[in-house]
Amino acid sequence: MSDIDTAKSLTGLLNGIAQKAYHNHGEVTEDLLRTELYPDLSPEDFHALHDKMRGLLKSIAMADMDPGQLEAFLTAQMKRQGGGGMSEGQASALSRFWRSQRARVRESLLAQSRWEPGLRGLAWRVDLQTSSGRGPEAAPGGPVALLELELGRPSQVSEYVCLECDEVTVNQVLKKMADIQRSIDTVVHRS
Amino acid sequence: MSSHQTKESSFLGGRIPPEVESMSRYLKDASLTLDQDTFRKILKALVSSIEGRDCREAMRHIAESSVIPEEKLSHIVAGMYRVLTEAIRIPTASLKQEAFKEDLRELRIPEDFITDFASVVFGSRRAALEAVTSERDPHLPTLDELRWRVDVTISTSSLARALQPSVLMQIKLSDGSLQQFEVPVSKFQELRYNVALILKEMNDLEKKSVLKIQD
Repeated sequence: MSDIDTAKSLTGLLNGIAQKAYHNHGEVTEDLLRTELYPDLSPEDFHALHDKMRGLLKSIAMADMDPGQLEAFLTAQMKRQGGGGMSEGQASALSRFWRSQRARVRESLLAQSRWEPGLRGLAWRVDLQTSSGRGPEAAPGGPVALLELELGRPSQVSEYVCLECDEVTVNQVLKKMADIQRSIDTVVHRS
Repeated sequence: MSSHQTKESSFLGGRIPPEVESMSRYLKDASLTLDQDTFRKILKALVSSIEGRDCREAMRHIAESSVIPEEKLSHIVAGMYRVLTEAIRIPTASLKQEAFKEDLRELRIPEDFITDFASVVFGSRRAALEAVTSERDPHLPTLDELRWRVDVTISTSSLARALQPSVLMQIKLSDGSLQQFEVPVSKFQELRYNVALILKEMNDLEKKSVLKIQD
Protein backbone atom coordinates (compact mmCIF):
# COMPACT_ATOMS: atom_id res chain seq x y z
CA MET A 1 0.00 0.00 0.00
CA SER A 2 1.28 3.47 -0.86
CA ASP A 3 1.22 6.25 1.73
CA ILE A 4 -1.76 7.86 0.02
CA ASP A 5 -3.67 4.59 0.01
CA THR A 6 -2.81 4.03 3.66
CA ALA A 7 -4.09 7.50 4.55
CA LYS A 8 -7.27 6.93 2.56
CA SER A 9 -7.98 3.59 4.19
CA LEU A 10 -7.32 5.02 7.62
CA THR A 11 -9.66 7.96 7.02
CA GLY A 12 -12.25 5.51 5.78
CA LEU A 13 -11.81 3.43 8.90
CA LEU A 14 -12.22 6.46 11.19
CA ASN A 15 -15.33 7.54 9.36
CA GLY A 16 -16.71 4.04 9.54
CA ILE A 17 -16.11 3.82 13.28
CA ALA A 18 -17.75 7.23 13.78
CA GLN A 19 -20.76 6.24 11.67
CA LYS A 20 -21.35 3.23 13.85
CA ALA A 21 -20.51 4.73 17.24
CA TYR A 22 -21.91 8.24 16.91
CA HIS A 23 -24.35 8.41 14.04
CA ASN A 24 -26.44 5.29 14.54
CA HIS A 25 -25.34 3.47 11.42
CA GLY A 26 -25.27 -0.01 12.88
CA GLU A 27 -24.87 -1.58 9.44
CA VAL A 28 -21.25 -0.37 9.29
CA THR A 29 -19.76 -3.43 10.94
CA GLU A 30 -16.13 -4.22 11.64
CA ASP A 31 -16.29 -6.99 9.06
CA LEU A 32 -17.62 -4.68 6.38
CA LEU A 33 -14.84 -2.17 7.08
CA ARG A 34 -12.21 -4.87 6.81
CA THR A 35 -13.39 -6.27 3.49
CA GLU A 36 -13.91 -2.81 2.01
CA LEU A 37 -10.78 -1.06 3.31
CA TYR A 38 -8.23 -3.64 4.38
CA PRO A 39 -8.89 -6.80 2.33
CA ASP A 40 -5.23 -7.82 2.63
CA LEU A 41 -5.05 -7.62 6.42
CA SER A 42 -5.73 -10.70 8.51
CA PRO A 43 -8.87 -10.49 10.69
CA GLU A 44 -6.73 -10.47 13.84
CA ASP A 45 -4.50 -7.64 12.65
CA PHE A 46 -7.49 -5.66 11.48
CA HIS A 47 -9.26 -6.22 14.76
CA ALA A 48 -6.26 -4.80 16.62
CA LEU A 49 -6.12 -1.75 14.36
CA HIS A 50 -9.88 -1.21 14.57
CA ASP A 51 -9.92 -1.39 18.37
CA LYS A 52 -6.94 0.92 18.68
CA MET A 53 -8.52 3.57 16.46
CA ARG A 54 -11.86 3.23 18.15
CA GLY A 55 -10.22 3.68 21.56
CA LEU A 56 -8.30 6.75 20.45
CA LEU A 57 -11.37 8.29 18.86
CA LYS A 58 -13.36 7.64 21.99
CA SER A 59 -10.79 9.41 24.16
CA ILE A 60 -10.67 12.38 21.79
CA ALA A 61 -14.46 12.59 21.55
CA MET A 62 -15.09 12.11 25.26
CA ALA A 63 -12.81 15.03 26.08
CA ASP A 64 -14.06 17.04 23.09
CA MET A 65 -10.43 18.01 22.47
CA ASP A 66 -9.63 21.38 21.02
CA PRO A 67 -6.75 21.60 18.48
CA GLY A 68 -4.12 22.25 21.18
CA GLN A 69 -5.26 19.36 23.33
CA LEU A 70 -5.39 17.07 20.31
CA GLU A 71 -1.87 18.02 19.29
CA ALA A 72 -0.54 17.23 22.77
CA PHE A 73 -2.52 13.99 22.92
CA LEU A 74 -1.27 12.75 19.55
CA THR A 75 2.33 13.69 20.34
CA ALA A 76 2.15 11.73 23.58
CA GLN A 77 0.68 8.73 21.74
CA MET A 78 3.47 8.79 19.14
CA LYS A 79 6.13 8.86 21.85
CA ARG A 80 4.68 5.85 23.62
CA GLN A 81 7.10 2.96 23.75
CA GLY A 82 6.26 -0.57 22.58
CA GLY A 83 3.50 -1.83 20.31
CA GLY A 84 0.90 0.70 21.46
CA GLY A 85 2.62 3.61 19.77
CA MET A 86 1.09 5.58 16.94
CA SER A 87 2.58 6.23 13.54
CA GLU A 88 2.83 9.69 12.09
CA GLY A 89 0.38 8.73 9.38
CA GLN A 90 -2.18 7.64 11.94
CA ALA A 91 -1.69 10.83 13.90
CA SER A 92 -2.27 13.05 10.89
CA ALA A 93 -5.31 11.01 9.80
CA LEU A 94 -6.82 11.39 13.27
CA SER A 95 -6.02 15.09 13.30
CA ARG A 96 -7.63 15.64 9.90
CA PHE A 97 -10.67 13.61 10.82
CA TRP A 98 -11.24 15.43 14.09
CA ARG A 99 -10.89 18.86 12.56
CA SER A 100 -13.75 18.17 10.17
CA GLN A 101 -15.96 16.04 12.42
CA ARG A 102 -15.60 17.53 15.90
CA ALA A 103 -18.85 19.53 15.87
CA ARG A 104 -20.90 16.66 14.47
CA VAL A 105 -19.55 14.13 16.93
CA ARG A 106 -20.11 16.49 19.85
CA GLU A 107 -23.67 17.12 18.76
CA SER A 108 -24.36 13.43 18.48
CA LEU A 109 -22.82 12.69 21.89
CA LEU A 110 -24.96 15.39 23.47
CA ALA A 111 -28.01 13.88 21.82
CA GLN A 112 -27.17 10.51 23.37
CA SER A 113 -27.88 11.98 26.79
CA ARG A 114 -31.12 13.64 25.81
CA TRP A 115 -34.19 11.73 26.85
CA GLU A 116 -36.97 14.23 26.46
CA PRO A 117 -38.34 14.60 22.98
CA GLY A 118 -36.63 17.48 21.23
CA LEU A 119 -38.16 20.24 19.15
CA ARG A 120 -37.39 19.36 15.56
CA GLY A 121 -39.37 21.93 13.68
CA LEU A 122 -42.09 24.52 13.71
CA ALA A 123 -44.64 25.31 11.04
CA TRP A 124 -47.19 28.08 11.41
CA ARG A 125 -49.95 29.94 9.70
CA VAL A 126 -51.87 33.07 10.57
CA ASP A 127 -55.60 32.98 9.83
CA LEU A 128 -58.40 35.44 10.00
CA GLN A 129 -61.70 33.73 10.71
CA THR A 130 -64.29 35.09 8.35
CA SER A 131 -67.30 32.86 8.77
CA SER A 132 -68.38 29.56 10.18
CA GLY A 133 -71.22 27.08 10.10
CA ARG A 134 -72.97 28.52 13.11
CA GLY A 135 -71.42 31.88 13.79
CA PRO A 136 -71.63 35.12 11.87
CA GLU A 137 -69.27 36.52 9.30
CA ALA A 138 -66.23 38.35 10.66
CA ALA A 139 -66.44 36.28 13.81
CA PRO A 140 -65.47 37.95 17.06
CA GLY A 141 -61.76 38.13 17.72
CA GLY A 142 -58.78 39.02 15.58
CA PRO A 143 -56.27 36.91 13.71
CA VAL A 144 -55.39 33.46 14.99
CA ALA A 145 -51.98 31.81 14.78
CA LEU A 146 -52.00 28.08 14.11
CA LEU A 147 -48.80 26.34 15.16
CA GLU A 148 -47.52 22.87 14.53
CA LEU A 149 -44.62 21.69 16.68
CA GLU A 150 -42.63 18.72 15.46
CA LEU A 151 -41.32 16.76 18.42
CA GLY A 152 -39.30 13.58 18.54
CA ARG A 153 -36.73 11.53 20.36
CA PRO A 154 -33.52 10.65 18.52
CA SER A 155 -34.06 7.90 15.92
CA GLN A 156 -37.82 7.91 16.44
CA VAL A 157 -40.55 9.19 14.19
CA SER A 158 -41.83 12.68 14.89
CA GLU A 159 -44.96 13.52 16.75
CA TYR A 160 -46.90 16.65 15.84
CA VAL A 161 -48.63 18.95 18.29
CA CYS A 162 -51.04 21.53 16.90
CA LEU A 163 -52.41 24.49 18.75
CA GLU A 164 -53.85 27.90 18.12
CA CYS A 165 -53.03 31.20 19.80
CA ASP A 166 -54.56 34.63 19.69
CA GLU A 167 -52.42 37.72 19.54
CA VAL A 168 -52.33 38.18 23.31
CA THR A 169 -50.99 34.66 23.81
CA VAL A 170 -48.36 35.03 21.09
CA ASN A 171 -47.23 38.23 22.76
CA GLN A 172 -46.94 36.48 26.13
CA VAL A 173 -44.99 33.60 24.59
CA LEU A 174 -42.62 36.07 22.98
CA LYS A 175 -42.03 37.78 26.31
CA LYS A 176 -41.21 34.45 27.93
CA MET A 177 -38.76 33.77 25.15
CA ALA A 178 -37.01 37.04 25.88
CA ASP A 179 -36.71 35.87 29.50
CA ILE A 180 -35.31 32.53 28.34
CA GLN A 181 -32.83 34.31 26.09
CA ARG A 182 -31.64 36.47 28.99
CA SER A 183 -31.25 33.36 31.09
CA ILE A 184 -29.18 31.64 28.41
CA ASP A 185 -27.04 34.73 27.98
CA THR A 186 -26.10 34.91 31.66
CA VAL A 187 -25.06 31.26 31.61
CA VAL A 188 -23.10 31.49 28.39
CA HIS A 189 -21.25 34.64 29.39
CA ARG A 190 -20.21 33.23 32.74
CA SER A 191 -18.86 29.94 31.48
CA MET B 1 -73.15 41.37 -3.09
CA SER B 2 -74.41 39.28 -0.21
CA SER B 3 -77.07 41.83 0.75
CA HIS B 4 -78.28 41.83 -2.83
CA GLN B 5 -78.67 38.03 -2.69
CA THR B 6 -80.61 38.04 0.56
CA LYS B 7 -83.11 40.44 -0.96
CA GLU B 8 -83.75 38.04 -3.79
CA SER B 9 -84.04 34.84 -1.79
CA SER B 10 -85.08 33.98 1.71
CA PHE B 11 -82.52 33.86 4.51
CA LEU B 12 -83.52 30.21 4.73
CA GLY B 13 -82.07 29.56 1.30
CA GLY B 14 -83.58 28.85 -2.07
CA ARG B 15 -85.52 25.88 -0.81
CA ILE B 16 -87.35 26.23 2.50
CA PRO B 17 -86.14 23.53 4.93
CA PRO B 18 -88.84 20.84 5.47
CA GLU B 19 -89.02 21.41 9.25
CA VAL B 20 -89.71 25.11 8.67
CA GLU B 21 -92.45 24.26 6.20
CA SER B 22 -94.11 21.89 8.66
CA MET B 23 -93.80 24.51 11.38
CA SER B 24 -95.50 27.19 9.30
CA ARG B 25 -98.25 24.75 8.38
CA TYR B 26 -98.98 23.97 12.02
CA LEU B 27 -98.60 27.56 13.22
CA LYS B 28 -101.30 28.86 10.91
CA ASP B 29 -103.57 25.90 11.60
CA ALA B 30 -106.34 27.49 13.59
CA SER B 31 -107.51 24.17 15.04
CA LEU B 32 -104.23 23.83 16.93
CA THR B 33 -104.50 27.21 18.57
CA LEU B 34 -100.95 27.60 19.72
CA ASP B 35 -101.19 30.53 22.10
CA GLN B 36 -98.50 33.16 22.19
CA ASP B 37 -97.61 32.33 25.76
CA THR B 38 -96.65 28.76 24.81
CA PHE B 39 -94.85 30.03 21.73
CA ARG B 40 -92.77 32.33 23.93
CA LYS B 41 -91.98 29.52 26.33
CA ILE B 42 -90.72 27.37 23.45
CA LEU B 43 -88.70 30.29 22.13
CA LYS B 44 -87.11 30.79 25.53
CA ALA B 45 -86.23 27.11 25.84
CA LEU B 46 -84.70 27.13 22.34
CA VAL B 47 -82.56 30.17 23.11
CA SER B 48 -81.18 28.51 26.21
CA SER B 49 -80.53 25.37 24.16
CA ILE B 50 -78.59 27.38 21.56
CA GLU B 51 -76.65 28.89 24.44
CA GLY B 52 -75.62 25.37 25.38
CA ARG B 53 -77.89 24.79 28.37
CA ASP B 54 -80.01 21.73 28.94
CA CYS B 55 -83.59 22.52 27.93
CA ARG B 56 -85.10 19.05 28.21
CA GLU B 57 -86.89 19.80 31.46
CA ALA B 58 -88.44 22.99 30.08
CA MET B 59 -89.51 21.21 26.91
CA ARG B 60 -91.16 18.39 28.82
CA HIS B 61 -93.03 20.92 30.89
CA ILE B 62 -94.26 22.70 27.76
CA ALA B 63 -95.33 19.42 26.14
CA GLU B 64 -97.21 18.29 29.24
CA SER B 65 -99.09 21.54 29.72
CA SER B 66 -99.95 22.04 26.05
CA VAL B 67 -103.06 20.80 24.34
CA ILE B 68 -101.23 20.31 21.06
CA PRO B 69 -100.39 16.71 20.16
CA GLU B 70 -96.73 16.00 20.89
CA GLU B 71 -95.89 14.99 17.34
CA LYS B 72 -97.12 18.30 15.93
CA LEU B 73 -95.45 20.21 18.72
CA SER B 74 -92.11 18.63 17.89
CA HIS B 75 -92.46 19.75 14.26
CA ILE B 76 -93.08 23.28 15.49
CA VAL B 77 -90.09 23.18 17.83
CA ALA B 78 -87.79 21.80 15.12
CA GLY B 79 -88.87 24.48 12.67
CA MET B 80 -88.44 27.28 15.19
CA TYR B 81 -84.97 26.03 16.03
CA ARG B 82 -84.03 26.05 12.37
CA VAL B 83 -85.36 29.58 11.88
CA LEU B 84 -83.32 30.87 14.82
CA THR B 85 -80.04 29.14 13.95
CA GLU B 86 -80.27 30.06 10.28
CA ALA B 87 -80.97 33.70 11.12
CA ILE B 88 -78.23 34.01 13.73
CA ARG B 89 -75.50 32.72 11.44
CA ILE B 90 -76.10 35.55 8.99
CA PRO B 91 -74.55 38.85 10.17
CA THR B 92 -77.02 41.59 10.96
CA ALA B 93 -75.34 43.71 8.30
CA SER B 94 -76.51 41.23 5.65
CA LEU B 95 -79.88 40.29 7.06
CA LYS B 96 -81.96 43.29 8.02
CA GLN B 97 -84.82 42.93 10.43
CA GLU B 98 -87.36 43.97 7.82
CA ALA B 99 -86.13 41.38 5.31
CA PHE B 100 -86.24 38.70 7.98
CA LYS B 101 -89.81 39.55 8.85
CA GLU B 102 -90.78 39.67 5.21
CA ASP B 103 -89.34 36.19 4.66
CA LEU B 104 -91.41 34.83 7.54
CA ARG B 105 -94.53 36.61 6.31
CA GLU B 106 -94.12 34.83 3.00
CA LEU B 107 -94.36 31.57 4.95
CA ARG B 108 -97.64 32.89 6.36
CA ILE B 109 -96.46 32.79 9.91
CA PRO B 110 -98.76 34.85 12.19
CA GLU B 111 -97.50 38.38 12.75
CA ASP B 112 -97.30 38.05 16.55
CA PHE B 113 -94.93 35.12 16.25
CA ILE B 114 -92.82 36.99 13.70
CA THR B 115 -92.40 39.84 16.17
CA ASP B 116 -91.26 37.39 18.83
CA PHE B 117 -88.80 35.73 16.44
CA ALA B 118 -87.37 39.12 15.52
CA SER B 119 -86.98 40.16 19.13
CA VAL B 120 -84.69 37.15 19.69
CA VAL B 121 -82.72 37.42 16.47
CA PHE B 122 -82.26 41.19 16.57
CA GLY B 123 -82.66 41.83 20.29
CA SER B 124 -80.28 42.36 23.14
CA ARG B 125 -79.32 38.69 23.36
CA ARG B 126 -77.93 38.61 19.86
CA ALA B 127 -74.33 39.32 20.89
CA ALA B 128 -74.40 36.63 23.57
CA LEU B 129 -75.84 34.11 21.12
CA GLU B 130 -73.14 34.91 18.58
CA ALA B 131 -70.41 34.55 21.17
CA VAL B 132 -71.71 31.18 22.30
CA THR B 133 -72.14 29.80 18.80
CA SER B 134 -68.69 30.93 17.69
CA GLU B 135 -67.20 29.10 20.67
CA ARG B 136 -68.55 25.92 19.18
CA ASP B 137 -66.77 26.42 15.87
CA PRO B 138 -64.01 23.95 15.17
CA HIS B 139 -60.89 24.94 17.07
CA LEU B 140 -57.44 23.64 17.78
CA PRO B 141 -56.52 23.45 21.43
CA THR B 142 -55.16 26.68 22.83
CA LEU B 143 -52.17 27.29 25.03
CA ASP B 144 -53.07 27.30 28.71
CA GLU B 145 -49.64 27.45 30.22
CA LEU B 146 -46.03 27.60 29.12
CA ARG B 147 -43.33 26.79 31.64
CA TRP B 148 -39.64 26.63 31.01
CA ARG B 149 -36.26 25.91 32.50
CA VAL B 150 -32.76 26.54 31.23
CA ASP B 151 -30.28 23.78 31.98
CA VAL B 152 -26.57 23.57 31.40
CA THR B 153 -25.34 20.06 30.79
CA ILE B 154 -22.06 19.84 32.63
CA SER B 155 -20.99 16.30 31.84
CA THR B 156 -22.54 13.15 30.39
CA SER B 157 -21.72 9.46 30.14
CA SER B 158 -20.20 10.05 26.73
CA LEU B 159 -18.91 13.62 26.99
CA ALA B 160 -16.64 14.67 29.84
CA ARG B 161 -17.12 18.41 29.50
CA ALA B 162 -20.35 19.26 27.77
CA LEU B 163 -21.14 22.72 29.18
CA GLN B 164 -24.07 22.99 26.84
CA PRO B 165 -27.14 25.07 27.67
CA SER B 166 -30.54 23.82 26.62
CA VAL B 167 -34.13 24.83 27.24
CA LEU B 168 -36.74 22.51 28.65
CA MET B 169 -40.28 23.60 27.82
CA GLN B 170 -43.58 22.34 29.08
CA ILE B 171 -46.83 23.37 27.46
CA LYS B 172 -50.29 22.70 28.78
CA LEU B 173 -53.08 22.83 26.21
CA SER B 174 -56.76 23.53 26.65
CA ASP B 175 -57.61 19.91 25.80
CA GLY B 176 -55.77 18.94 28.97
CA SER B 177 -52.71 17.49 27.27
CA LEU B 178 -49.25 18.20 28.55
CA GLN B 179 -46.18 18.28 26.31
CA GLN B 180 -42.63 18.46 27.50
CA PHE B 181 -39.74 18.87 25.13
CA GLU B 182 -36.17 20.00 24.98
CA VAL B 183 -35.07 22.82 22.73
CA PRO B 184 -31.39 23.06 21.82
CA VAL B 185 -30.13 26.64 21.87
CA SER B 186 -29.86 26.82 18.09
CA LYS B 187 -33.46 25.63 17.73
CA PHE B 188 -34.54 28.08 20.39
CA GLN B 189 -33.26 31.01 18.32
CA GLU B 190 -35.26 29.69 15.38
CA LEU B 191 -38.36 29.33 17.53
CA ARG B 192 -38.05 32.83 18.95
CA TYR B 193 -37.54 34.34 15.53
CA ASN B 194 -40.65 32.58 14.23
CA VAL B 195 -42.82 33.64 17.15
CA ALA B 196 -41.74 37.24 16.60
CA LEU B 197 -42.61 36.85 12.92
CA ILE B 198 -46.05 35.47 13.76
CA LEU B 199 -46.75 38.44 16.01
CA LYS B 200 -45.70 40.82 13.28
CA GLU B 201 -47.96 39.10 10.77
CA MET B 202 -50.86 39.32 13.20
CA ASN B 203 -50.24 43.00 13.82
CA ASP B 204 -50.05 43.70 10.10
CA LEU B 205 -53.22 41.74 9.47
CA GLU B 206 -55.06 43.65 12.15
CA LYS B 207 -54.11 46.98 10.57
CA LYS B 208 -55.24 45.76 7.18
CA SER B 209 -58.56 44.38 8.38
CA VAL B 210 -59.33 47.66 10.15
CA LEU B 211 -59.03 49.37 6.79
CA LYS B 212 -61.17 46.71 5.15
CA ILE B 213 -64.04 47.21 7.56
CA GLN B 214 -63.99 50.93 6.84
CA ASP B 215 -64.47 50.25 3.11
